Amino acid sequence: MPSILTARALTYGYTGQPRVLENLDFNITAGERVGLIGPNGAGKTTFFLLTCGIIKPLSGGLEIIGQPVQPGHFYPAVGMVFQHTGDQLICPSVREDIAFGPQNMGLPREEVERRVADAVQSAGIAGLLDRPPHQLSSGEQRLVALAGILAMEPRLLILDEPTSDLDMRYRRRLISLLKAMEEKTMLIASHDLEFILEVCSRVVLLEGGRFQADGQPAAVMSDGSLMEKHGLEVPHSLTAAWHYHRGLNSPIILF
Amino acid sequence: MHIPDGIISVSTALGGYAAAGGAAWLSLTKIKRKYKNPREGIPRASLLTAVFFTASLVHIPLPPTSVHLVLSGLVGVILGWYAFPAILVGLFLQAVMFQHGGLTTLGINGCLIGLPALLSGRLFQLRRLFGRDKAVTNALLAFGSGFLAVALGAFAAAFLLIYTIPAHMNAAAERAAVTALSLAHLPVALLEGVFTAMVILFLLRVKPELLELESR
Amino acid sequence: MITSVKTVGRSSIIHRWETRHKLLGFAALIFGFAFVRDLRLLPLILVASCLIYYLAALPFSYLFSRMRLPGFFLLVLAVILPFGSGETTITELGPLALKLEGSLNLLLIAVKFISILTLSVVLFASTPLTGLVGAMRSLGVPSLPAEMLLFTHRYIFQLADDLRRTRIAANLRGFKGKSLFSLKTLAYIVGTLLVRSHVQSERVFQAMTLRGYGRETVQIAMAAPGLSDRLALAGGLALAASLILAQAFLL
Repeated sequence: MPSILTARALTYGYTGQPRVLENLDFNITAGERVGLIGPNGAGKTTFFLLTCGIIKPLSGGLEIIGQPVQPGHFYPAVGMVFQHTGDQLICPSVREDIAFGPQNMGLPREEVERRVADAVQSAGIAGLLDRPPHQLSSGEQRLVALAGILAMEPRLLILDEPTSDLDMRYRRRLISLLKAMEEKTMLIASHDLEFILEVCSRVVLLEGGRFQADGQPAAVMSDGSLMEKHGLEVPHSLTAAWHYHRGLNSPIILF
Repeated sequence: MHIPDGIISVSTALGGYAAAGGAAWLSLTKIKRKYKNPREGIPRASLLTAVFFTASLVHIPLPPTSVHLVLSGLVGVILGWYAFPAILVGLFLQAVMFQHGGLTTLGINGCLIGLPALLSGRLFQLRRLFGRDKAVTNALLAFGSGFLAVALGAFAAAFLLIYTIPAHMNAAAERAAVTALSLAHLPVALLEGVFTAMVILFLLRVKPELLELESR
Repeated sequence: MITSVKTVGRSSIIHRWETRHKLLGFAALIFGFAFVRDLRLLPLILVASCLIYYLAALPFSYLFSRMRLPGFFLLVLAVILPFGSGETTITELGPLALKLEGSLNLLLIAVKFISILTLSVVLFASTPLTGLVGAMRSLGVPSLPAEMLLFTHRYIFQLADDLRRTRIAANLRGFKGKSLFSLKTLAYIVGTLLVRSHVQSERVFQAMTLRGYGRETVQIAMAAPGLSDRLALAGGLALAASLILAQAFLL
């Protein structure tokens, strides 16, 4: 499978302070849905900003589908939905906001309209098209923000804490939506470990600037000592499994 | 339009402080008459002032270069009588944080920017006569507010500078200099007018109550 | 670009000068400097501002960094005044004639500007904003603008952050902001910030009301001044007065 994202010896930090990211090697292949977990301040958002070309690494590099990422350039192949949707939604109507990305990509009008229609249908928000995003609930805003990114048809979809302000209903809707996008490559940072369990096919644990674990979600997250060591907890649905897996060889790669 | 320290005479500077003091007193009186508890409006006016302060730092493209907008027309429209203290606050913070503008000239700059802002706010309220909800009315009056606030301020600043700097110019040269300086601000004033109209039209669609807050 | 306004440098006698006295002293000096029109007084104000900067124990690089932005205006004047204003020609540079009066005028404005700027840099580097506002209040500034000053200052940093993140999100969707066509999106961004801030301000007001805000005017507690504070103020006033008298005499 082609590689969508490759990081090589990626390092980022501020002078006189411990590195935020230290010599990271990382690879995502097409179709993978990778969950990124770790305590606050582990560097998840920094990693995303590097991937999108917003900030420049101290050393090392990133490639998106084989092309090196140069800071300051626009990469529609990478689409990121921000944690605070308020930062992303700026247009006076949902329709205009979803069209914003495709329009900036210089696409012809019919293509923009097609993409908007597809994104609206995927997200199930046809009834919201003429409303100002600022007046919507946080769940509705989350879906509009996602639609706006999907309209750009990115190869890699990045989601930063997508369930942080969702009620149960919208959380469930988001989970169904993401699971329905079978071929979409995703990278999702979340504290909602049950969400990661349901949606992702792979999980990486980031702390201290390095990846501390990389493997199947259930296997990684049911390792109680690993999770506690890095400021996390075993998700509730796995707690019975934790006792079971303790003595067995689990398919986890520990660094 | 910010006149820095060192150029104008002390008497002009003190005159500016007196005028600004008077305008501030008037604004506070109007505010107290409107709100039972005037401190109610402080968080809102302050947060909006912070938006204007931050927004004025953004580079707005004006080919071949870019400029910083003053947004005094917009301040007048949205803040009403709070606009004058808001502009004084903004100018003071600009002097403290960036050494932009002057301290002796705080009063004069407050008047040059704040008085046209108050006027623009009043101008925008004419929309009550022509149809408050019509996009065209709002757009035209908003353009007028944005344009006038900056054009008046720039003209007054040019006038003040030319006639108070002891620069040994004859009367005709002085008039020409004022005209030249004012005309130089014309593109910026037009840009401010257009930008103000765009923001007002946005607010009309997204949160029309924001335009009603200071309408009385 | 917007960094927090904290006091700069270690505690010097200027830092420790009681705030109300300091504010009055600096105000008198700044106006005294602004009063100067005779070139012969320029060395005095330059030396005075350097001395005060030295007493504040601030690094020279700090003053230099603060001068960069406003210094641009001096550059513009340096081009206009010496060539555009005056009758006596000193020398000719090609088609342009360097005039004496214009050059001297530039010198006057430049030295006054730099000296006053130096004083303002010292004042704001050595006084936290809350102290400054408290002093202003106790000297008669009404509470509404004073409170607005503190509130606005507190939220500027958050707004700068909000704006930065919003710009990044827009850039990630292909927005560049370089042509006139970006105007509409920039207007949307400013409008969005206004709407969000308005909503936030209502929450802020409610939270503060729950903690007693709005019922009565906040009392200001100022430190009791000592003899050195009063002497320093007297010194500042004396210097300002001397400048004004000297200027009046020289005229």
